[in-house]
Amino acid sequence: MTSTPVIDVERLNLSYGDFHAVKDLSFQVKRGELYALLGTNGAGKTSTLEIIEGHRKATSGTVRVFGESPRDRRAVRPRMGIMLQESGFSPDLTVRESVRLIGKLSQRVDTVERVLDIVDLTRKATTKVSQLSGGEKRRLDFATAVYGAPELIFLDEPTTGLDIQSRDDLWDAVDKLRGDGSTVVLTTHYLEEAQQRADRIGLMHEGTFHQEGTVAELTRTLPAVISFALPTPAPALPHKATRGSDGRFLVETFDLQEDLYALLHWARSNSVELQGLEAGPTRLDDVFRSIGSA
Amino acid sequence: MLSIALSELIQIFRNRLVLVTSLILPVAISAFFIYQHETFAKLGSLGYIAAVVVFTVGAFGLYTTTVTTLASRRQNLFLKRLRSTASSDASILSGLVLPVTVIAVVQVAAIMAVLAAVTGEPNNVLLLVAAIVATLVMMLGLGLATAGLTNSPEHAQVTTLPVSLGVIAVASWVGISGTEELTLLKRLLPGGSATELVVNAWNGGVAVSDSLLLLAPTLAWVVVALALASRLFRWEPRR
Repeated sequence: MTSTPVIDVERLNLSYGDFHAVKDLSFQVKRGELYALLGTNGAGKTSTLEIIEGHRKATSGTVRVFGESPRDRRAVRPRMGIMLQESGFSPDLTVRESVRLIGKLSQRVDTVERVLDIVDLTRKATTKVSQLSGGEKRRLDFATAVYGAPELIFLDEPTTGLDIQSRDDLWDAVDKLRGDGSTVVLTTHYLEEAQQRADRIGLMHEGTFHQEGTVAELTRTLPAVISFALPTPAPALPHKATRGSDGRFLVETFDLQEDLYALLHWARSNSVELQGLEAGPTRLDDVFRSIGSA
Repeated sequence: MLSIALSELIQIFRNRLVLVTSLILPVAISAFFIYQHETFAKLGSLGYIAAVVVFTVGAFGLYTTTVTTLASRRQNLFLKRLRSTASSDASILSGLVLPVTVIAVVQVAAIMAVLAAVTGEPNNVLLLVAAIVATLVMMLGLGLATAGLTNSPEHAQVTTLPVSLGVIAVASWVGISGTEELTLLKRLLPGGSATELVVNAWNGGVAVSDSLLLLAPTLAWVVVALALASRLFRWEPRR
């Protein structure tokens, strides 16, 4: 992975009248990265993505993709594949015709058969788009995005409506493309996908980044939680704990392993059973939820 | 552009509604006018018949289909999809309207040929061609402008009525009553001067230099239509 940014966003602003959808946003996506742009509803991620894709003009600030303006389609689009959030195919064209058309217009070189095979739509090649299920349309969308294995791929809610097998297949295809050097920008509401796959995450709220970094960097800002119930009476706990509404004890910690070990040691020493013991690292969900309460 | 045009052509022939409105309806109406040419010639002239069939194809075949097609492609985000490729906006629009324009040109050429075979050749073919080209370009421009005001193919059934019925009404008015009275008004209305030009080209009897001046109002409508289109046309549905 080199440090040359594929995407360079600097002080990006977008306003609709008095409403500031994106505020002073700056970030970079490096070559080969999978960068996840996440956020609450209305956070500005779709607007940001559309500006980077070249679909929308910024109010101010600069966006460079491969060092060029994303609105220069001829220069940029042959190098990028875009999977839109909504399908956008003509219902009267077949699957093969749709892929052939968009593939040809992308100016990348590939074969329709290879791409249909990746998304397991070979059997549907002669089926009209109007007769596809929602999941099949998403796979068709993915097929056009990865036609010609572009250097940069935008995946906007790629797995929405897909069954588990199709999701796995899609991520396998993404992994293979990344193995070949493609850079991926992802937006999704499935946080576990971002947690598992993103190299870095930009977490947006109210038009700007609430946080940005790796999953580890983001989750380390919040404590992990150990929860359990205790029989009464019980000796004093070794850690500061709060009581949940269900009466369970909650211990917040930034050093889960050490504090869990200490707690288990205390329980053994005092012959106390930690009933329903649960402990786990901070998840992206917890960080996401903390946005609303911040 | 040609890839988009080819896909549009496929879609036109797969969509029965579009096929009927863009292909069959204008031809059927034109056939009726040619079949009843003696009656309509008495009402106006043979030039009037030529003008009214040109506007029938222009209004129903070209204009309405252009508006319906663009509204439909916008509504199902096909326009956005095309814009996510390396194609320029001009190339996308050209590709989308090329098939319906070619169909309209072929239709008009065929109908004029049949009319000429049945009633006799037009007085000035080149002038007739200029008039037809100007008329079709005007209808195309008006189609692009109206598409900006049209949210869906269903909505197009309403938004296309004023222009499509209006130009046919103007063509009938000018074609039947001539332009001796209310000359300026008739020539400034959309389709008015184009109708007079077609009538002159078919019937003859008017100096070519005088007829050519009639291209100016038609081309002015093209400019107005394209200016409106550049302001009104949207690539994505309203949110």
